[in-house]
Formats: sequence, structure tokens, C-alpha cells
Amino acid sequence: MSTLANLGLLFIGAALINNILLTRFIALCSFVGISNDWHTSVGMSLAVIFVMMMASTATWVVWNFMLEPLGVGEFLYIPAFILIIAALVQFVEMYLRKYSPVLYRAMGIYLPLITTNCAVLAAATEVAKPGFFKMAIEYNYTFGEGLVYTLGVAAGYGFALLSFAAIRERLDIAPVPEALKGNAMSFITAGLLSLAYVGLAGWFGL
Amino acid sequence: MDLMIVMKAVGALSVIGLLAAALLATAARKFHVEVDPRVEAIFEALPGSNCGACGNPSCFAAAEAIAAGDKAANTCVAGGQAVADAVAALIGEGACEVKAVISARHCGGGTNAIRAYTYVGVMSCAAANKLAGGPLACAAGCIGFGDCQRACPFGAISMDERGLPVIDVHLCTGCGICVRECPRGQISLLELLPEAAPVVVRCNAHDKVKGRKSNCSMCCIACKKCERECPSDAIHVIDMLAVVDYEKCTGCGTCVEVCPQKCIDLYGRDNAADVKAADGAGPGTTAELAEPAEPVEVGA
Repeated sequence: MSTLANLGLLFIGAALINNILLTRFIALCSFVGISNDWHTSVGMSLAVIFVMMMASTATWVVWNFMLEPLGVGEFLYIPAFILIIAALVQFVEMYLRKYSPVLYRAMGIYLPLITTNCAVLAAATEVAKPGFFKMAIEYNYTFGEGLVYTLGVAAGYGFALLSFAAIRERLDIAPVPEALKGNAMSFITAGLLSLAYVGLAGWFGL
Repeated sequence: MDLMIVMKAVGALSVIGLLAAALLATAARKFHVEVDPRVEAIFEALPGSNCGACGNPSCFAAAEAIAAGDKAANTCVAGGQAVADAVAALIGEGACEVKAVISARHCGGGTNAIRAYTYVGVMSCAAANKLAGGPLACAAGCIGFGDCQRACPFGAISMDERGLPVIDVHLCTGCGICVRECPRGQISLLELLPEAAPVVVRCNAHDKVKGRKSNCSMCCIACKKCERECPSDAIHVIDMLAVVDYEKCTGCGTCVEVCPQKCIDLYGRDNAADVKAADGAGPGTTAELAEPAEPVEVGA
């Protein structure tokens, strides 16, 4: 298979088949917390795509040129990556505030939230160190593959969040039984949505 | 050898930490943005409900616009005179007058209005209105699924057993969100009236009186009795509907008494001083001026 097709499969695999929210159940806090409003979800999705790409780039570089050569990556990757992501998000926030007030206003309130978003850490770890989810993989992403993979994860996050937000906005005015109103109905819906995504599993792996 | 690993780990994390610290320290210096301290102060003075009635997406955005001089001190619609004064003091301007308004419903139909068909679907006025103009036979009346109630950021609207929204005139800030949310707000089913508006006509229909009467028993029948009896020439039947001129209205209550349909109610902050919601007066009754402190039963 050509490289391009490989990258395409990598993207689809990351976005849909191994959807970070609905197949792997990572970052569920933001999934439930933010999805009650469509506009907020759009802002959050864009901010996650942005931050995830930056964080993965940074962690790939640090892993391949620092942690791995020193032989300390196996036990040091989580603290190191958390440090990198937190510093990076802070930096981006300051930069946006100075040079793009419009973007800052649109994404500003989500950036601190993303510092502690586990999806970002998961994607950044996976890019640097494949096998975070499936320990048997003996493979290292090239830089380009890492970027495509991250974009896939972030797009999958956005897609799942937006579809769930759209459903929840309709649920608000739907005739739901009294006992199930609110969060209960949201959890049931999330479960059904997750079922649909799990059905895609096994098409092809990572 | 074990010690070597520890040294390496400490070294690696220290380098990352130092690099990050250097990056952030440089950024903090280089990307420093001067923030107008008044923004925070103005934001504190605003109600903070983010209702959006002023045209800004949030109270903070409004505070920024006011501090930057793009908006006047009386920008906040919901806050009224008190907030405008506080903001004017903060930005060093003189006092400015605010024309306070409250929202009012021009319909007394509710369950008394005839339905053209039985609506089964999403319980929202906007959705029902799109299905052949809603289930009501009257094209101007209140559909009664409570879009305004859900939209009100101040909790001033409640639905009574007639299926009509009751506006608590003391909680209403006149932000106008209910008027925008109401699918019939454009044709003034809900309307912003002057704060002290003493009376309100509970009908919004302009069609032929004969057809109107078969649609709803509560409608204005354009008999002009109020027009004739009004001592201050403040109420007129225009386009087959009684319309109050609030510039002239003194709030004497004559029209309320003479209306054979009882579709004019006493209203306004002043008249409702003793009752929780003057708007709650049901069909055939009016909130009386000399009502004791006990709240009037809604939908009596």
C-alpha cells in the first residue's frame, strides 16, 4: 500500500474506529461536561485539535531526542509529558492573548481546561510511544505519521463531541420520562452512541 | 548503575522543567498585555447573568466594550438605572437616564382559545408554530408551550394552569429575550412596555371580530367602550384592537372596569406593588389596586 493510503487508514483508524471518546472512553469528563451546548462544543473541539497537534509535536521530539536515548522514557514519560503539555498550553494562551485577541476570546476559556484533558495526554503519549493502548506494538511513528494520527484523534474527539451535543440539544425539548430527565438520559444516549462506534471495531487495527 | 538511571531521570526532567520555565518567563515578559483595571470593576457592577440583551455575548464582553468606550454607560438593559449609575461612576461620566421597560403578554386565551387541530410533537412554541401556524385557531394568540419561560434568564416567567405565561413584573428586567424567543414576538404577542404601564390589553388579534370571537372567548371585540369611557383619551381601537397610549394613560382603571370581555388588566410595577404578580389575574378578574399583602392566586 502506498504511503498516502497508509496515512488515510491511520487517520480513519484514529478518528472513528479507535475513537478516543466512545471506543476508548478517555476524556469523558469534558465529553459530558461541555456537550450541553453546541457552540461551546465547537469552541472546545477546535481548541482540542489545536492543542493536541502542538502537544504531540513537542512530546514526539522530546521522546525521540531526549527520553529514549537516555533510556529513562519507560518510567518518566507521564510526568515529562504532563510538564510539557501544561507549559505549552500556558504559552499558547499568552501568545494568543497578545497576537490574536479574536482567537483568544473564542478559545481562551477552554485552554486551561485542556491542560488537564486526558485525551491530549493520551494522544501525545501514543504518538511518542505507540502501544499505550495495545502493548504488543513494536513500531515507532515517524514524525509525519504522528501528526496524522494526532489529527485523527482530535477530529474523532470533535466529531463525537459535536454529534453528542447535537443530540443533547434535541433531548432538552424531547418528551423524556420524568425520572430520566437530565444527566440520566445523557448517559443512556452516550452509551448507545458508544455502541455504534464499538460496532466499527475490528475493521482494521492501528 | 541504578544511581545512573536516577541521575539521568533527574537531569532529563530538570532540563525539561528549566526549558519550560524559561519559555514561560520570556513569554510572560514578551507577550504581556495591559489589562484595563476598569473592565473588572465594571464587570462586577453588571448583573452577571450573561443574558445578551445588550447585544454583547456576555457581561464580560459588555464590560470590555464599555471600558473601551464603544458602548455607553447605560448599555446594560437588564440592570436598569442602578447599574447604569454604578457603571457611569466607574467610567467617570455623569448620570444617564434609563428608560426601563417590562415585558407584557397580549393574550388572555390559553385554554379558552379554540384549537384548530391537536398538536402532538416537540413541546415547543417554535416547533408548533412551524406546523401550519400552530394548533391555535387564532393566528395571533399564545401557543402556550413556554418557550419564553425557558428562555427567561431571570426566572420571571411561569406558566399558569390556563397555559399562559405569567410575567412577574418585579423580577422582569425588560431584557426582551422572551420577545425574541416567542415565535409570535414579532407580531407583539409579547411586547416591551414602559415600566409603569398601568394597563395591558390581553388580546393581539387584528382579524375580523366575528371570526375572532369563534376562535377565542377572551378576545377584544372592538366595541370601543373603553375608548368612549376613558377620561384621558388614552385608549383607542386601532385596526380592530384596543391599543393603549402609555403617554396619556393615567392608570385610572376605567377601561378595566367597562370592558365587557374583561380583556384589559391592570399591570405595571406600581400597580402590582402589593401583589406578587398582577399578571396572574385570571379570566374575568383583575388585580385590584387595594389588594392586601397576600399574593393573588395565579389563574384564579
